[in-house]
Amino acid sequence: MNKVSFEIVGKGVPVKDANQKVSGTLTYATDFGVYRMAHGRILRSPHPYARVISINTSKAEALPGVIAVLTHFDTPRLNWEAPWFNYRGKVLDGIARFVGDEVAAVAADTVEQAEKALSLIAIEWEVLTPVLTVEEAAAKGAPQIRDEGNLRPSYLFEWGNLAEAEASADYSVSCDIRFPAQQYAPLGRNACVAEWQGDHLTLWTGSQTPSEVKDGLHEALGIPQSRITVQALPTGSSFGCWWTNNFMLLTALLARKAGRAVRIELDNDECMATVKRRHEERSRARMGCDSDGNLTFLDMDHVIDNGAYGFKDDVGFTSPDLWNGIKNGRASVTGINTNRVTAGCFRGVGDCTLSVAVERMADQLAEKVGLDPVAFRIKNQISAGERFRSLEQFETEALQASGGDLLAAVPPDLRDDWPKLFHLSSGSPLPMLRDGADRFRWNERFVGWGRPHHVDGPKHRAVGVGTGSHTCGVETEGNSSAIVRINPDGTAKACCSVGRHGNGSETTLAQVAAEALGLKLDQVEVEAGNTDACPWSHGSIASNTMFRTGWATRAAALDARAQLLAIAAQECFDDVDQAELDIRAGLIGFKETSGDNRQFSVSDVLNLMRGDAHGQTSSITGSSRQPMPPTTTFSRQFAVHFVEVEVDVETGEIRVLDYLALQDSGTIINPQVMKNQVIGGAICGLGYALYEELLFDSETGAVRNGNLLDYKVLRTGDFPPHAKVVFHESHDSIGPFGARGAGESPIAAAIPAACQAVYNATGVWVDLPMTPERVATALAKAATGKK
Amino acid sequence: MKIRLRINAHTHEVETRPNQTLAQVLREDLGMTGTMMSCGEGECGSCTVLVDGTPVTSCLMLVGQAMGRDIRTIESVGTAAALDVVQQAFVDEQGFQCGACTPGFIMVAKAFLAENPTPTEHEASQAMSGNICRCGAHPYIVRAVLNAAGILAQQKGSEHEQSEL
Repeated sequence: MNKVSFEIVGKGVPVKDANQKVSGTLTYATDFGVYRMAHGRILRSPHPYARVISINTSKAEALPGVIAVLTHFDTPRLNWEAPWFNYRGKVLDGIARFVGDEVAAVAADTVEQAEKALSLIAIEWEVLTPVLTVEEAAAKGAPQIRDEGNLRPSYLFEWGNLAEAEASADYSVSCDIRFPAQQYAPLGRNACVAEWQGDHLTLWTGSQTPSEVKDGLHEALGIPQSRITVQALPTGSSFGCWWTNNFMLLTALLARKAGRAVRIELDNDECMATVKRRHEERSRARMGCDSDGNLTFLDMDHVIDNGAYGFKDDVGFTSPDLWNGIKNGRASVTGINTNRVTAGCFRGVGDCTLSVAVERMADQLAEKVGLDPVAFRIKNQISAGERFRSLEQFETEALQASGGDLLAAVPPDLRDDWPKLFHLSSGSPLPMLRDGADRFRWNERFVGWGRPHHVDGPKHRAVGVGTGSHTCGVETEGNSSAIVRINPDGTAKACCSVGRHGNGSETTLAQVAAEALGLKLDQVEVEAGNTDACPWSHGSIASNTMFRTGWATRAAALDARAQLLAIAAQECFDDVDQAELDIRAGLIGFKETSGDNRQFSVSDVLNLMRGDAHGQTSSITGSSRQPMPPTTTFSRQFAVHFVEVEVDVETGEIRVLDYLALQDSGTIINPQVMKNQVIGGAICGLGYALYEELLFDSETGAVRNGNLLDYKVLRTGDFPPHAKVVFHESHDSIGPFGARGAGESPIAAAIPAACQAVYNATGVWVDLPMTPERVATALAKAATGKK
Repeated sequence: MKIRLRINAHTHEVETRPNQTLAQVLREDLGMTGTMMSCGEGECGSCTVLVDGTPVTSCLMLVGQAMGRDIRTIESVGTAAALDVVQQAFVDEQGFQCGACTPGFIMVAKAFLAENPTPTEHEASQAMSGNICRCGAHPYIVRAVLNAAGILAQQKGSEHEQSEL
């Protein structure tokens, strides 16, 4: 489809809350409170695995200022589940499953009183034997730390004929890579305020998933959803950290017991050691190709450490789709619980780990065949229209389930434009690889595998390229909806429950709604956090925000627009067919210059209705009447990153010298927002590649570096300020104005790009994170091996 | 105890305890929540304020140490309706995503540009490295600082021209 020009979509306007953010006047969750509220603190377990035999709260309750002490005797025996199995358990159940796990909570007049009361709670523990690693947890006879057991059933998918392909491969390589747990290291903390009025709960907190916070409260407290209002407030950086978190549910229960509003703010240690983290993972895999460099097979077993309450049995893993040249394969993912802090989805989940293993093996095969990494990717990666080989079994199942009609779930009016299921609908890394290689002067700077292009004493410079992909939202946990309301004054509010945590959706979704309505951008605002205003949305999860909630937002805006034009046609334009009318910059008139230049503002039309004898309303509510049909079987986002590094082969220190990031997410709704998503992903990915690793105590599993002093992230001086972002906007036939998902593929491309660049600079593959110590050790080991 | 503080050219009197940090007093007693709190140990710079013109992480300064000093917070820089040059440069480059680190970065940038009005890219990049931005807006933060330097220099230049006339 040809690129259409838009009025508002595609404009790099500043985000709507930009001035508030730079002036320090945006109200974050940590800045919020209500009148007469008490303050809560949480008692946390000193043991990795222990059962409460008895708990005595009398001394704590007697302390002046203390209002309520909440223990597992006060909490419902109900399990709740966070989105994507990021948590499954009870709010409190008298068993501690990691050091820092919640055991009890106190509400008091002041934080200090609550804190002091915690120390007066006397607990008699039955200390149990913990399992601290996936190996321990999976061992025969290991203590089972959950009712459901430690192991989730393995998620397995297979395609082609692996045995045959393996036997006939000309080259094959293998890997066994351990991926460290990355910490969100959320800046700005989070807080929760809960207030009950009768049996109605209102809860304010920072969350990317307001609808799912409501779901979690409903499940954990056993109260009707009609009696729950969640108002998600802006948070600092989140990237998966702040979804539905147990401390929010704890705050609600504590407030109910206290009979007063309660606020709990997590301190930084709690944010970094008790909430969530990326899974610690291990990939064991083999991969092969023919003598021309065509990939023939992948065989992979991957294990993820879910920590105490994570419940994932699969991770987002679109690498076999990206490397669609892999003709035969098998991949299994197994989730295992350990007595360590809960693990959950962190930006680019799965595609930052499994895919890194795939990219490394691909690079090793390319070297064996004698192909350059760009050429090898062009040879083996996917183009739009290709059938996903690795989804073979799912396609067969879907064909059987639908009686042969794969589009059965797609409403008839959408079928004409609907992409072919199980085929990539749009986008591809290939044009970006070619374009990027030119722009990055790849052919000058890549001088062969394991060879630096510039050597100055111990300082070796080399380049690397990495590719990443990810899904564009998922439908399996529910279809995202939105509402767009046109007010009597002609302004509009789009209600989309996606939270506010820096991804700019309060602006980009307003751009989508304004474009669809024909209003000016400053006439449209977004409510992203109130569950009474917003219908259910998956939230900012799995790169859903623009593709799936944006789709619903556009549908809701078009619905509102049609209602408005019907009224205008009847009341203002002599009953013409509304198809002849259009709305431009907030004015309704004829589409073509028909000589009839009459124009009515939206507010004029709606105000006509105010005195209407037929009782029409003077505001209009549009909704996404039909949910967006499933899209995971065809939509992907792609990132191609190029990096130049300088490695000091004596000290092992790595410097990032140059960076180019290319992104194909379809139409870019707001390039200012998007460049930040892309570069932010690159920097977070480089952080994971170079520095970041959450450390656990070997005896207790406790987090040892849950603070920003000991947990190192990239600073401005660690990344080249002249880094470039280039968009390849392959139009998507169904995404809102051609847009797809965006936020997660960049991080997945950055990590393997850095690994490859370090290999090219040193001739050694280094495991993550590539700290100076690890690099120097790997180089020393390689040197010994050569001797 | 009662403590008197000079903040943003206003005098405030707060009833507090000497073990409270300046950041706590600003946020909890005075409602100046533009000063953000993250690490609480002076590492991330979210809570940076200027004390006698020097950037200080207010989470590490006890409120008693702030007595008798000239304290400037983000609230003194410019309002949402009338941004100052550095703030506007951060908006134009979008040198942020979530904004939790932004007031801290802006306070550091203000002090840095006062000291070094014509920084190189490398100098600006190094100067901003004391603070943490977890969203990864790094290049745009550095460019915002450089752009602000350019605009401030221009403004200064035109002031000179005017005074020469």
